Amino acid sequence: MQLRILIAIIIYFETTLFAAEAGMPQLDSKYWISQSFWLILIFSLLYILLSKFFIPKIKENLDDREKKIKENLDNAKNLSDMAEQKALDYEKEILKAKKDVIKILSEAKKQMEKNINQKKTIFDKEIEKEISKVENEIQNLKKNSNKAINQIAEEISSKVIENITGEKLNESSIKAMVAEVSKDKMDKYL
Amino acid sequence: MHQFQVYKIGPEIKLGSVDLSFTNASLFMLISAFTICLFLFLGSKKKSIIPDRVQLIAELFYNFIAKMISDTAGSKAKPYFPFIFCLFMFVLLCNMIGMLPYSFTVTSHIIVTLVMALFIFIAVTVIGFLKHGFKYLSLFVPKGVPVVLLPLITVIEIISYLSRPVSLSVRLFANMMAGHTMLKVFGSFVISLGLLGGWLPLSFSVALTGLEILVAFLQAYVFAILTCIYLNDALNLHH
Repeated sequence: MQLRILIAIIIYFETTLFAAEAGMPQLDSKYWISQSFWLILIFSLLYILLSKFFIPKIKENLDDREKKIKENLDNAKNLSDMAEQKALDYEKEILKAKKDVIKILSEAKKQMEKNINQKKTIFDKEIEKEISKVENEIQNLKKNSNKAINQIAEEISSKVIENITGEKLNESSIKAMVAEVSKDKMDKYL
Repeated sequence: MHQFQVYKIGPEIKLGSVDLSFTNASLFMLISAFTICLFLFLGSKKKSIIPDRVQLIAELFYNFIAKMISDTAGSKAKPYFPFIFCLFMFVLLCNMIGMLPYSFTVTSHIIVTLVMALFIFIAVTVIGFLKHGFKYLSLFVPKGVPVVLLPLITVIEIISYLSRPVSLSVRLFANMMAGHTMLKVFGSFVISLGLLGGWLPLSFSVALTGLEILVAFLQAYVFAILTCIYLNDALNLHH
């Protein structure tokens, strides 16, 4: 009896299962093995293709890109460092040039002063020389002019005397007279 | 439910008594795989520093999966990157191609998702035992649990571990099937209500299509991230 009930239950479940199969093709086991077989085959093929060809290639591309970007960034950093260094060098150079300019200027100034002093002493000497020379000349001229004036004075006096008196005085007396006058008055005029 | 029907294409292939015929399911798996290959080929063909659109999308997917794996399973999971990438792309493309009208959704079949989930389950278990030996069993004995509760917790942990392939496969399968069924139901409403009343279900249908595209992506993502989490359990015991 119990066995019969069990069989009835089994039959019942089987019929409902078949009904489900009619509704749900997923539960139809007819192509299960075929589906599994093709799934394993195709998935294995896909796995081999992907792991052997496509994934390494994509990885390579990504790595390449990362490497290139890193390289470029490094390059840029290097270049900017270099530029900074250059700017520093440039500033240093300018500072040095400024110092040099000041040095050169002061040196030139010193040199010029020295030159001026030298030239000044030379000129002073020359001027002194000239002055002494001129003084000498003047002195000479004074002497000469004394004589010349005396002579002229003698001549004029002799002529004047001649005209007034109509007589000729001897030269020596005129000379003596002029000398006497000139001795008194010479300092007044010369 | 015609859209879920599997039928033979071409000659019958039999290995002994086993039927290995090429079906529409196989065809759409092939289309998905081919699309992935084509997409990745176009996305990795040029080695330009500034990527074009396809390359950008391909690299986006790559980085997306790479980040997901490193976030959930750490650096030890790196050797499994191709598998998870492949898995994600395959499930995503199967889901997405299934969204095209008159196409076939490979992932809406429990057997397909179950095979994938079982493979992941077995692989993760094998990796776990290879890495940690019998210490891997300590996965079922969480730390910091009161001794009284330990037997109960351990049993629960074992059950939850064993139900992983079921939950993983049923989640994807049920989501895909439910979405397509709902679209079909609303589509049939549009027909039956005609010009007068059909507009409401039509707008629902449009909205649902958008939702289904989101679900297609989300389920692929969930499938992949759960695989990562299982892998994490196997690689980094007692995190």
